Amino acid sequence: MSQKETDILSVLQAKFKDTSVQVQPQQLGKVAVIADATTYRDVLKALLEADEKTAVIAITGIDLGATLGVFYHIRTSTAGIITIKVEVPQEEPRLKTISDLMPGAAFDEMEVTDLVGVVFEGHPSPGRLVLPDNWPDGVFPLRKDAKLDNLQFKPTPPSEPASPGNEDIVKIIIGPQHPALLEPEKFALKVEGEIVKDVQPRIGYVHRGIEKAAESRTYLQDVYLVERICGICNACHATCFVEAVEKILETEVPPRAKYIRTILLELNRLHSHLLTLGHAGLEIGFETLFQYFWRDREPIMDITEIISGNRVISSGMTVGGVRRDINEADIPKIKGMLTSLRKRLPFYKKVYEDEPSIKMRMKNVGTLKREDALKLCIVGPTARGSAVDIDVRKDEPYEAYGEIPFKLITYNEGDTWARMNVRMDEVEESINIIEYALDNLPTGPFRVRVPRVVPAGETVNRVEAPRGELFYYLKSNGTAYPERVKVRTPTFANIPAFLATAIGSNIADVPPNFVSLDPCFSCTDR
Amino acid sequence: MFCDWVERKIEARMQNRMGPTFTGPGGILQPFADVVKLLTKEDIVPGGAKKTIFRIAPIISFSIIVFAISFLPIDGAAIIPNSSFAGDLIFIMALITIANFFLFLSGWASANPYSDIGASRLLTQFLGYDIPLVILALAPAFLAGSLTIASIAASQYLPFIILAPWAFVLFIVTLQAELEKDPFDIPHAESEVVGGLETEFCGGKLAFLRLTRDMQIVFGAALVVELFLGGPYGPVFFGFPAFWYFLWFVLKLLAVVVVTEYLTCLFARLRIDQVLTANWKVLLPLSVLSLTLTVAVATWVYPLVM
Amino acid sequence: MSKLAMWARLKSPWVLHFNSGACNGCDIEVVALLTPRFDVERFGIKLEPSPRHADVLLVTGSVTQQCAERLKRIYDQMPEPKFVVAIGACACSGGVFKGNYNVLNGVDKVIPVNAYIPGCPPKPEAIIDGVVKLLNSLKPEKPAKKEKKK
Repeated sequence: MSQKETDILSVLQAKFKDTSVQVQPQQLGKVAVIADATTYRDVLKALLEADEKTAVIAITGIDLGATLGVFYHIRTSTAGIITIKVEVPQEEPRLKTISDLMPGAAFDEMEVTDLVGVVFEGHPSPGRLVLPDNWPDGVFPLRKDAKLDNLQFKPTPPSEPASPGNEDIVKIIIGPQHPALLEPEKFALKVEGEIVKDVQPRIGYVHRGIEKAAESRTYLQDVYLVERICGICNACHATCFVEAVEKILETEVPPRAKYIRTILLELNRLHSHLLTLGHAGLEIGFETLFQYFWRDREPIMDITEIISGNRVISSGMTVGGVRRDINEADIPKIKGMLTSLRKRLPFYKKVYEDEPSIKMRMKNVGTLKREDALKLCIVGPTARGSAVDIDVRKDEPYEAYGEIPFKLITYNEGDTWARMNVRMDEVEESINIIEYALDNLPTGPFRVRVPRVVPAGETVNRVEAPRGELFYYLKSNGTAYPERVKVRTPTFANIPAFLATAIGSNIADVPPNFVSLDPCFSCTDR
Repeated sequence: MFCDWVERKIEARMQNRMGPTFTGPGGILQPFADVVKLLTKEDIVPGGAKKTIFRIAPIISFSIIVFAISFLPIDGAAIIPNSSFAGDLIFIMALITIANFFLFLSGWASANPYSDIGASRLLTQFLGYDIPLVILALAPAFLAGSLTIASIAASQYLPFIILAPWAFVLFIVTLQAELEKDPFDIPHAESEVVGGLETEFCGGKLAFLRLTRDMQIVFGAALVVELFLGGPYGPVFFGFPAFWYFLWFVLKLLAVVVVTEYLTCLFARLRIDQVLTANWKVLLPLSVLSLTLTVAVATWVYPLVM
Repeated sequence: MSKLAMWARLKSPWVLHFNSGACNGCDIEVVALLTPRFDVERFGIKLEPSPRHADVLLVTGSVTQQCAERLKRIYDQMPEPKFVVAIGACACSGGVFKGNYNVLNGVDKVIPVNAYIPGCPPKPEAIIDGVVKLLNSLKPEKPAKKEKKK
């Protein structure tokens, strides 16, 4: 462990020496802390004091039999991931909320309430998050004894009237079917004139119950399942999952597989960023920009098809390596396509930096200050646009990122324009990474055999998806089926940023603001 | 409808695509197919809408614009012969305002929050930009010494675009706003207000709304042709002058449509407050300035030159 | 007159896209149809924002509980004649999410479907192929039964 990590460990050990809190190094990230319902808030406060960049990554709810476990996964800038494990009895599942200490944890708590049934006292806005409105009460899908056949759905509650009370405030509902959104989610905006006064999100339209489904499929089948959490960042989900399994199995993946995985991951990032940059054009009415970006995005899809056989969902990862090797004969063609894309980049960069109508629509829109970004636990390009320099590829290198040089991009302005420019620059970095990887591809096998049955254990893992940090918690129980798979996607963490920046802005600023955080609701709802 | 096809093809080509291609040769029948298809669809009137206005407002606005166009000389004489009268420039601009007001009514009658927002944005934008438009239109009127379109068109031995280029440029910009084209197309901004005022309309009424928009484009372009480009007058080679005048008119019209569509493809959409700022703080003073400049130049400079 | 109407309908199908709980893979392939490489505007297909303007409803996703009612409502808001195309394995039968607790296993559990385009996600060429087959099946020369075209 590095010096700083040891510090956190010794701080925790010193502070909680004589209490019931147990500190376990090298468990579930860098440190696992076993606390109970009375002490976990103190542990969190200690971590917050020690490091300003402490943030809640995720809260896992898990059915442990007699008790319900609530695991708080905390990210610190110096010590990686620290997990605080708390258990509450099944008959009396109540805990105090931590959203007063960390506002960004509010969403996570709502999800645990929905899926496992733990009630968080003092939560600012309790309610359904991912389950539908007509879900029957008392049925918690992630509990082992949940009866999910023949559910008796409640009648759908009526929607609120259009103009509640105050005549000046008009309620505008964006979604579930709306041209600005590719996915169904509902945002109820309360506007006065053209200024947005309040935003109430309702997500859960894309909740497919993946975490529960993962428990009834083998690890190999789960790779295909988690890939389809999101078609846009599919390689990242697959990678995070297989890496977690490999950590429990303590398998060493061959170097060639690591490089191929890196290439597929960066191709994912490229196509996702180009998608967003073009989509932003649509949102501000700049159709021409959208068409140009997507035209130049097509070669990336072709490259993905050459390497993996499919344009979108590459299915390249498997436990122990990658499924297909890269054909050496294809490499010159791939590099040729990347070179022609690279030639187009200065033109696009100039458009995003200098074009007056883009600047009018994007500058000073949705500004998120650095302190707010830290408090709300924002990740990814959204955070990097507000001068927060977090990137899992640099903080905790995985696959081949430790060996490949690349730059971490941040901008200071914190507005929509900055966020889009972060993505624009990352496009160039991604092309650099892929070319480096192709040039330095190690020889050797591209996968190793792994056993079908995974011994009991638990681990956490994270990768840098195009939208930010993607986090998985995996628990295995000695069979061929996982015990619990918990996914925390970057958009889930970033939605509070949108809510905070949308209030007080124009209606017309809402779409560009929305696109700049690059929402992916199929990731969020799972 | 032909202009609609021209627009779609230009937009597509600017975006590196082909645009409508298979409906008729080169896709030229596409708008026609669109209209016929719309007319044959089921008609739905939303429950909360104000039914009478909902039904007739689109048709009225369409008719008014057609009526207004009929005053513009196309082949050396107005379509309805002898229908031009002194001051008809102001008259048809008033007609267009009324037509847009009926468009606003159709959005307002839809009982849908998106339509409300779209309709009110339309009215705000149109009424705002109407003022500079009229002021700018006065420049060629001054140069021709008359408010009758036919005589403005006829007195252009040298097209006014050369005599008053500043007015022409500003007029084109204001026209973009009047026609709700980028960068001013906020009233039907898809990503914010779904269909704007058109959201609840379907079938035949939608066809009329779309046609109204197309006719407005034709009208705007025709106005530019009359006021700045010398109307239908041009060299006559053989045969009937009326035929040649018609041809020149169509060619000039298409040129203007190409220019406006080109501008549309180049820009993103401005927010409503930016649109209003552009109007009151930029275009209005500039249009007054242009009129003053035209008067000054025409009174003192041109008699010296010619 | 009806021949003219049929011609117009075939040449100007306006589509509305709705995601009923999909992973976005199919959706980005649908949006890719508008882009220069595939450009379905050649066929007169326009992406419309409002259900009232559209003739064809493209549905992706395996229909979650929350979306089911909204999907039905959108279908009802569309004026006749209207067609539904289910795009992707999830929309056809639930795909990889079949059997999950929040999922209804396919679009035809909620609204009638005219064409199924399988794939995960189907390539844009496959989607164009499916839509063209649907339009061809409406022509009066062929027997006018609405068959499932795989």
